[in-house]
Amino acid sequence: MSFHRVVRRLHLYLGLFLLPWFLLYGVSSVLFSHGRYFEGLYNDGKPNWTVRFDRPYAIDIPQDAGLRGAFGTYRPNGREFHVYVYDFWSATQLKYYADRGRLVAEDRRFRLDHILTGMHARGGFTQSSFLDDAWAVTVDLACLGMIAWIASGLYMWWKLSQTRAWGTFALAGGVTLFAVFLFVL
Amino acid sequence: MLSKLIRRTHMYLALFLTPWILMYALSTMAMNHRDFFAQLRGGSGTSYAVESEGAYPGAYPGTFPPGDKPREMAQGILRHLGLDGTHYVQQARETGRLTIYRESPLVTRRITYTPADRRVVVERAVFHTPSFLEELHRRRGFEHDYPLEDAWGFIVDIVIVSIVFWDLSGVWMWLQLAGTRRLGLVFAVCGLALFVLFLSAI
Repeated sequence: MSFHRVVRRLHLYLGLFLLPWFLLYGVSSVLFSHGRYFEGLYNDGKPNWTVRFDRPYAIDIPQDAGLRGAFGTYRPNGREFHVYVYDFWSATQLKYYADRGRLVAEDRRFRLDHILTGMHARGGFTQSSFLDDAWAVTVDLACLGMIAWIASGLYMWWKLSQTRAWGTFALAGGVTLFAVFLFVL
Repeated sequence: MLSKLIRRTHMYLALFLTPWILMYALSTMAMNHRDFFAQLRGGSGTSYAVESEGAYPGAYPGTFPPGDKPREMAQGILRHLGLDGTHYVQQARETGRLTIYRESPLVTRRITYTPADRRVVVERAVFHTPSFLEELHRRRGFEHDYPLEDAWGFIVDIVIVSIVFWDLSGVWMWLQLAGTRRLGLVFAVCGLALFVLFLSAI
């Protein structure tokens, strides 16, 4: 198999394998780009969070609340401590009020925009579970896939001699516009 | 004819948007390995250095009417400094001190204004490649009153539409290549199966 053919096949099969990730990142980006609009769609008076329980509490937050999974923490002030436990489909917010010795758990409302933006933003090797690390590896793979598409795409374009002039115009136009944005934004 | 049109659109769009796709790929990797890059930097967050050029630190010559909102005050200060553009502002409740973050891809500045002595200090964030990439990645336009931001947001929308177009046109071109259908199907099904597995497992 010639090098040219290998590059073409790599471009194609990598694209097919990573199609769900690329589609996810593409579609969910709309929700970031037009966040205000989509937020407005859910401006119907229903709360985003529903109290699951509100009870007296000493300490050791997610285990005692019977929750497992990926989580993040946030300390808005010296008296409160928040733990955000989430998976792709749902999220629970645990709020520990140290001064009152209470723990409140709230479940997030089901919202498609939150699910998609959550999937878009998920990544990193900060959780202790193997599956979370595996997802982060696929995120890296998707990034490497994009770089491979760029490299193989440039190679394939260069091999099509009749498209070089317009291709150079498109590439140079994009690079110039990007550089202009870097300096003027 | 249709086949050629789809192939050419797929290619020229990709060539034009190459810098954006490269930026999104590299910035995603930087965010996916944020802890690693933070360690390389010594574990600290963004560090700022007082800008040596210009008249500031110095006193802001203007005054603000009582009850002026932080947003309006920040814009006045930025205009005075010739730094108007996308920014965020915070105001300390007790001292009224304003901290303005003027976000720019290459140079992010932090401007602090202390009402008691009208002192303005302009600091420049120390350039850090992963932060620069992340800043670009998170920039989305349509959230500020600056046409240039909206222009960037418009390009981001073109990238989004293009990604969906590349997906669809890629599948379409694959189906046109009879010799790759079987192996292509294996890759597509494996990718989809892995994706669904993740959706149900984590």
